[in-house]
Amino acid sequence: MGNAGGLFHLRDGVVVSAESPGSPGAEVLLLSSGRIEEGDWTAALVESVETRSLPAALVARGIVGATELQGLVLAAVHDGAFAAAVGEIERYVVDERIDPPLLPADEGLRPDVLLAETARRLDALASSSLSPYRDRVVPARGRQPAGLGAERREILAHATGRRTARDLAFALGRSLHPVTVEIAHMLADGLLEIAPAATSFKCTHWGLAALRPRVEIKPDTQVSLRSSEV
Amino acid sequence: MFVLSGSTFPILKGSELDYDALSAELRKLRENVAGVTDTVIAASDGIPIVADVAKNIDPAHISALAAADLGIARQAAEVIGLGTLSQTVVFGSEGYMAVYAIGRLSLMVVLGDKGLNLGRLLHETRPVIERVGVILSS
Repeated sequence: MGNAGGLFHLRDGVVVSAESPGSPGAEVLLLSSGRIEEGDWTAALVESVETRSLPAALVARGIVGATELQGLVLAAVHDGAFAAAVGEIERYVVDERIDPPLLPADEGLRPDVLLAETARRLDALASSSLSPYRDRVVPARGRQPAGLGAERREILAHATGRRTARDLAFALGRSLHPVTVEIAHMLADGLLEIAPAATSFKCTHWGLAALRPRVEIKPDTQVSLRSSEV
Repeated sequence: MFVLSGSTFPILKGSELDYDALSAELRKLRENVAGVTDTVIAASDGIPIVADVAKNIDPAHISALAAADLGIARQAAEVIGLGTLSQTVVFGSEGYMAVYAIGRLSLMVVLGDKGLNLGRLLHETRPVIERVGVILSS
């Protein structure tokens, strides 16, 4: 538990799923990227209620191959572990309830393998001070970069100054780690900059200072939403 | 859009809201809960009070929808006998809209993306609602 925190599912000693609010899960990667249609996803969900296997239902509909799906699920496990490790970890709880994940990895990853890969991913960001949860990025002022790849153009287009790397990963439907690494490179290249607080948090109240305070008044004069009292 | 400073408008005595304190609460909430994208505090009648939203979101529309949403949820809670309404959450395939009652007169809207940590939001929101309620009524 923490910010962003994470939920690891283990089965027979291997990690079959790692979900975190900090990283897009396999479902988001499939849907937001447009890889599969929402209608197909919903239909597969309905079918899987009986068969108890969403991966099988997705593959049976012919919308995604078993190998491709497993590749995507494993990518989400790696990314979920990175998302938990790169944030703050406040405490942990071990729960033995059997509440299987929607999209588990068939083979799963040994914890030591997952740990080593997560450490490698953290190392890849070690040279940058970028925090994927705290820092909000905006295109650098005065730069009209040309000849950028699609990935960088997409990040620039979505970097409003309100979004962190984590928010951008969700907005783009892509994994947290590659998006964070790319943003770190773009910061180093002067394409992006960390947005000032005034850009990231812009509270407005339209000069409505004339409104009276919202104090609860006596029940007999209260304007009620209940139709019987109107 | 009007100017952001209240100085151009007549300020009734004793009616100045502490907008800075409200803004600080909205900022903290977005910083502390992964997936929160936009927040609005509004009156139950749908008039926005203060908002922290992206450029493409109109706080007036969000406030009106949230007031209607909370109104019908509150009525349902009362008619069905579910007690006092505290919140209502809209689950969409792309994200969430959570609306919290602040007493009977105000509300807070939290918009979140697909990855919103709903459990943490519910946990973090309780003290925020308390404090915002105090700020709004003082």
